Amino acid sequence: MSFAWTSKLALVASLALLPATGWAQSVNIYYLTHWSPETVALLEAAAKDYAKANPDVSVTVRAVPFGDLLTTLRSQGGGSDGPTIGGIYDLWLPELARDKLVAPAPDTVAEEVKGAWPAGVVSAASVGGKLYGIPNEIDVYALNYNKALFKQAGIAAAPKTWDEFREAAKKLTNKDAGQQGFGMINSWAAGVVHPFASLLVSNGGELVKDGKPALDSKQAAETFQLYEDLIKSGASVPAMATADANTTGPFLDNFVSGKTGMIIMANWWESALKAGMGDKFADIATAPIPIGPSGDKPHSISYSWMTVVNANAGQAEQKAAWDFLAWLNNPKSGKNGASAMSDILMSMGILPSRSSDIEAHKDKLGSEFLSGYVSVLADAKPFPVVPGGQEFSESLQQTLEALQYGQVSAKDAQATAQADATSILERAAK
Amino acid sequence: MIERYRASAGIMLAPAVTLIGIFILLPMLLTVWLSFQDWSTQTPFASASFIGLDNFREIFGPTSIGRDFKGALANTAIYTALSVILILPLSVAFGLMVYQHDVAGGTALRTVLFSTYMVPMIAVALVWSKLYAPGEGPLNQMLGLLGIGPQPFLSSPRSALISIVFLNVWQQVGYFTVLAIAGLTQIPGSLYEAAKLDGANRFEQFRFITLPLMRRTLLFSAVIAIINAVQVFEPVALITQGGPVGSTNVLTYHIRRVGIERAQGGLGSAMAVMLMLSLIVVVCALFALANRKDRE
Repeated sequence: MSFAWTSKLALVASLALLPATGWAQSVNIYYLTHWSPETVALLEAAAKDYAKANPDVSVTVRAVPFGDLLTTLRSQGGGSDGPTIGGIYDLWLPELARDKLVAPAPDTVAEEVKGAWPAGVVSAASVGGKLYGIPNEIDVYALNYNKALFKQAGIAAAPKTWDEFREAAKKLTNKDAGQQGFGMINSWAAGVVHPFASLLVSNGGELVKDGKPALDSKQAAETFQLYEDLIKSGASVPAMATADANTTGPFLDNFVSGKTGMIIMANWWESALKAGMGDKFADIATAPIPIGPSGDKPHSISYSWMTVVNANAGQAEQKAAWDFLAWLNNPKSGKNGASAMSDILMSMGILPSRSSDIEAHKDKLGSEFLSGYVSVLADAKPFPVVPGGQEFSESLQQTLEALQYGQVSAKDAQATAQADATSILERAAK
Repeated sequence: MIERYRASAGIMLAPAVTLIGIFILLPMLLTVWLSFQDWSTQTPFASASFIGLDNFREIFGPTSIGRDFKGALANTAIYTALSVILILPLSVAFGLMVYQHDVAGGTALRTVLFSTYMVPMIAVALVWSKLYAPGEGPLNQMLGLLGIGPQPFLSSPRSALISIVFLNVWQQVGYFTVLAIAGLTQIPGSLYEAAKLDGANRFEQFRFITLPLMRRTLLFSAVIAIINAVQVFEPVALITQGGPVGSTNVLTYHIRRVGIERAQGGLGSAMAVMLMLSLIVVVCALFALANRKDRE
């Protein structure tokens, strides 16, 4: 073949490959999360690893405060230029799916998820039997307490019942030292509602039963009363309980500085405690939620997070996004049989939900702090994922905050909470 | 001739009128139209269905929607009233201080005052949230030196809104001081000289010359201060998230929560219409009051 012909063939081949090369390099995925800069750096590192085998896909991570995450997803997710991937709280899924902001998972991904994750977690990532997201973290609530303060107050062990809990809260309260026995949270919906719901389920009650609010039960009345008693006795101080948009603030500061004896919080705040307490983190222990007078055994609330794909993104972006997520959550992407996603989650003290990840991180999950959470996971009840769930949660938050600040009695709070929840869930179900 | 003049005026006005129509009137009319619809912000306008006054009944009703809206409206009114009540007298006081030629450091004070207005709200919010921190916060430490116990500031429903008002006053007062100075420069010095000759003291000069002749400036400042205050959003979103117990939940923040976070576009639009109407009523009342004073 002459040089001229070789050149012509090379030119034709280059021109033929050019569009494919151009298309391949143009797939950009935009990943929206609420994680801290340190965790975002880990996700970016994982994306770089993925890019080694997939140089045609680039992943850009953007983080917003938790308080702005849903708004950002809703305001930017309606267009193809919005986030391609979003990390979401399972409570938001029914409405995001209803509004067609999130895409159903491809069959291959759905099959993989259904086989590798516990059924309850898969169900929280599904709407109408269709899987919409790849679950990643599972969070569960437990009682955190400061062993040093317990020792000072002469309390030998974590409270197992509400009577012991009241007694411990009383002993741990020292007004002169600005110390409260039990720390509540306010100005943050999940921070207010989840600890309350954990005490409620540990008292044999439920927030929602068969799609209808169940806050008019005897168990709920006792839980509202417990809150009122703790506030009135001074064992809980609402002014020490505020949270900010980043889910940090005085409630966290008071616990890390040893001014709060006990608090009900989820496992994910391990990293915040370690950062705030340093060596004193060793003083923190975890115990099951105390059992109420109408309860049979300790229960708590759990919820999960998942990554979803923007239904309005281009086909190429959606395909690349699902491929990246499948890789990120695959046991081969991380260390020692764990997924890269679970390695990122474990760096924050967050429990991964994939069965193989729990096995791979068995050693770390056995730490004094996290093992307390792992032990209560089996009896945890998922926070109800229903249409209108976020509004229901915010409405209950307002009522509980009013109770915290003494603006309403336990009885009135219960009646208001039930009436509001009924109207919100009925409207959302239409 | 007149027809040609009208035609050319029309042609020259057309670009501005078209832009105003598209970017101001159309969105306003759309918001009013949506306030009568059941519509999710995530769906096309075509999916909206007419429900008459239901959204308005809901926002003034006894359910949590009504309670939250009425609470947010009241919070916005209190925030606005307190902001205006504090900003206007302070701006006049600072304006008088800065405008006095014989006061040393007047220019420096003017610069310092105006600089607060140039600081981005994100920085202001971050700094003030730390200043207000309970226990170890600098403000509480200073109060401690005076023998006053720690104040909850942002952590109490009684003081959270007022704390946000102080933050707003701190940031805005410099801008309104500049407006006050502009008003003061319009008052002829001869009036003060005549008043001095008639034996008027400083307070009488202020009461009978400065204040009446600054009425127009103060009216303008009041209108701008009201509009700015009604639009408050950032400090609430950045610091308090509307809490505690909804005590800082102002309307703009609440509309964002309802209209965007919950995607209840119809309800959010009804709230926005009520906010717009309230603002129109207040500003018109202010102008009517000023005109009546002028006629007197």
